[in-house]
Amino acid sequence: MKISIQKRWSDLVTDIKHNPDAFKSALLSTIVMGLGQWRNKQRAKALVFFSVLLLVVLVELFSGSYLYAFSELSQYPAGLDGQLYFIRDYGGIFTKGLWGLITLGQITAFQSYRGQFTEAFNKVIPWLSGDNSISLLGNGLIALVLSSLVIAVYVQNIRDAYVSKKLSLKQGYIETGKGYVKRLWTDMFPFIILLPTFVMVLFFILIPFLFSFLLAFTNYTYRVVPPAQLVRWVGFTNFTKIIAESGWLNIFLDVIGWTFLYAIMASVSCYVLGMIQAMIIESKYVKLKKLWRTLLIVPWAIPAMISLMVFRNVFALDGLANQALLSTGLMEPVSNFLYSVGLQGEIGTVIYWFSKYMNRNLTKLVILMVNLWLGAPYFMMLITGVLTTLPKDLYEAAAIDGASRWQSFKRITLPLVIKATLPAIIMTFTFNFNNFGAIYFLTGGGPARPNDMVPQSMLILKGVPGSTDILISWIYKLSFTRNEQVFNMAAVYSILIFIFIGVISVYNLAKNKGIWEEE
Amino acid sequence: MKIKQFSLVDLVLGIAAYAWLMLSVFIVLVPILWMVSAAFTNGSLLSGVPIFPDISKFSIEHFVYIFTYQSSNDPSIFVSDYIRAFLVTFSIALTNTVGVVIMSVITGYAFARLRFKGKKPLLLTMMVLQMFPSFMGMIALFLLFRQFGFLNKPLYLALIYTAGSIPYNTFLVRGFMRNIPKSLDEAAAIDGATPLQILTKILFPLIVPIIGFIAVGAFMAPWLDFMLQSFFLQAENTTIAVWLYRLTEGQNTAYNPLHFMAGALIIALPIMIIQFFMQKYMVHGLVSGAEKG
Repeated sequence: MKISIQKRWSDLVTDIKHNPDAFKSALLSTIVMGLGQWRNKQRAKALVFFSVLLLVVLVELFSGSYLYAFSELSQYPAGLDGQLYFIRDYGGIFTKGLWGLITLGQITAFQSYRGQFTEAFNKVIPWLSGDNSISLLGNGLIALVLSSLVIAVYVQNIRDAYVSKKLSLKQGYIETGKGYVKRLWTDMFPFIILLPTFVMVLFFILIPFLFSFLLAFTNYTYRVVPPAQLVRWVGFTNFTKIIAESGWLNIFLDVIGWTFLYAIMASVSCYVLGMIQAMIIESKYVKLKKLWRTLLIVPWAIPAMISLMVFRNVFALDGLANQALLSTGLMEPVSNFLYSVGLQGEIGTVIYWFSKYMNRNLTKLVILMVNLWLGAPYFMMLITGVLTTLPKDLYEAAAIDGASRWQSFKRITLPLVIKATLPAIIMTFTFNFNNFGAIYFLTGGGPARPNDMVPQSMLILKGVPGSTDILISWIYKLSFTRNEQVFNMAAVYSILIFIFIGVISVYNLAKNKGIWEEE
Repeated sequence: MKIKQFSLVDLVLGIAAYAWLMLSVFIVLVPILWMVSAAFTNGSLLSGVPIFPDISKFSIEHFVYIFTYQSSNDPSIFVSDYIRAFLVTFSIALTNTVGVVIMSVITGYAFARLRFKGKKPLLLTMMVLQMFPSFMGMIALFLLFRQFGFLNKPLYLALIYTAGSIPYNTFLVRGFMRNIPKSLDEAAAIDGATPLQILTKILFPLIVPIIGFIAVGAFMAPWLDFMLQSFFLQAENTTIAVWLYRLTEGQNTAYNPLHFMAGALIIALPIMIIQFFMQKYMVHGLVSGAEKG
């Protein structure tokens, strides 16, 4: 890699030595966009590039308030402490954006600045408003993205000045403006029709994700309220906190452990049950296959959110589960049985399915069972579909060779089905890893951890995960529970999920060649 | 001879198979039947719901509540909270459907048929992005919406749904288009058709099945999402999912689990019907997706 970069660089240097004239054009375009093209006698192209430059400059000028700067600087000079942030007070979308991204603001509301007193928001004199670090961060990201686009055009402008000149010297032919526009149109056609997609993905997916990630390196929690306070960059402190603060690692590992256990168990159990159902329905013993299939698919057709909330009621204290146990007289034996296998913490007549910490393992089991109810039909459908595509002659050949039905299942059906459904299994795993609804709508993360199980520093900070919270539902809690928002830690956990899921899905895609090959 | 050999084992296995299936159907149906019977039970207590049908407790009061109860005193609003939530959600769903179909057909076409620089990295980026729930970026989206004044405007929310579903649907369209022979495009191109004409006149009619699938998916998404709606829309713009969730919140004044059951029933029914119609496409898509691996 390094060698190839060095080689490309030396190639470029020799190329430039051989084409000093083209280098002059490139140099002119480096100073002012479009100037090199003008020298190359490509007027239309020069105007296109120059207007980009002009647009950037005008946007910067008019989105800022440079026009007032001159008079205001003499009227409100820097205060006694010498504080004056020119870009903060007058900068436009690009400069102020990047300034905000780097500093996250300098002046809070309700302090003195340039001999005046700042407010939360001042309509007349914008620089008397306190800095809102979070808005600055958002605007900064947008400015960063826009600047990189401008830089891309700028680089293209230099390259074009060089290459066009070289070409015209070699061939004695100058591409006309019209020809350029036409070529540009055909080259750019895919990008032009993809532009709306790019813009939407950029603004509604990518920038929000980046924003969330950046919060991981700040001290932003519900206690920091901009513009009265400023958010600060804190580096990797939040990451090391998990290890450094006593007791945090235990809770973190507990949540991670349950997240993995849940994701694996939920996927495997649904797959196995789905396979059993499919095999039984497809077997020769069962008549009315379509009817059975339709009945068993019903849970798949009901919106998961609704099913989950119904199940939350089923396992409420006065819900269906307890009522059925009470009315059939099974409450006591079941309750005692659960106690004897350690799922229930105390001997009692009524089972607290979701609301007692000592029953947390029972709650986890119920979550997995409910997930089975919801998720098995999907795999039943999938595997039924795959079974119909299996080659019949294989089984005939196996039967002639004297294979038992169990053997032909183990040696033929199972490997073929697993091979065909492997991508779906991995996708289900990543889905369950992020299956926020299964926890939030069912238990809401509860039962809560008792205070003596939680380190003091986490209690003070708030945002303690419940005993059935998985990583993603914990992130939700940290982001959106009023007065418990620990945005920076939520961002730290988001990054962990991002890395983990990213690695799995890239691995899955790399193996899944069918998606990539071009015809 | 042979038949006799089989029959005893067959009998046992057959009975076992039917017993297992009946047990499964029982477990599948019990919560649903309980939901239905709760929806038609009077009062406001879950414990009042009979395990076995009890005609004396039958009541349609929860449905009456849903179709008549108004929380606002605004005289200009003459429909119940539920109907209003329904209309709001419906408008989001419709906007989302149009947006998703247009965007994913164009994007899928570009990735299936056109050649351009950076295609693979872009495809990979989209594939990875679709793995994450959109609320991971929700704090930023919230601020972005506040900045642009989009908060509490249902139709702008459709922008987020549309953007979020582009990556996945692009893959569907792309996969479907790749099964259409490229010679069709080439023949049209020789006859002087532009890429845009090839897409609209030749490819579009051929990909109608997958468009139907995407459209139904896009239409259903806003009915089932809770997260975004609960933070971006308030008061008069409450959506179905949020309205339903509120009925289950203990601290809410409208709290009545039986209202919830009735509401869940009337929302789940149409969706179930649509799902059953889509089942054929779904299985087809699932299997063909699986076979590629």
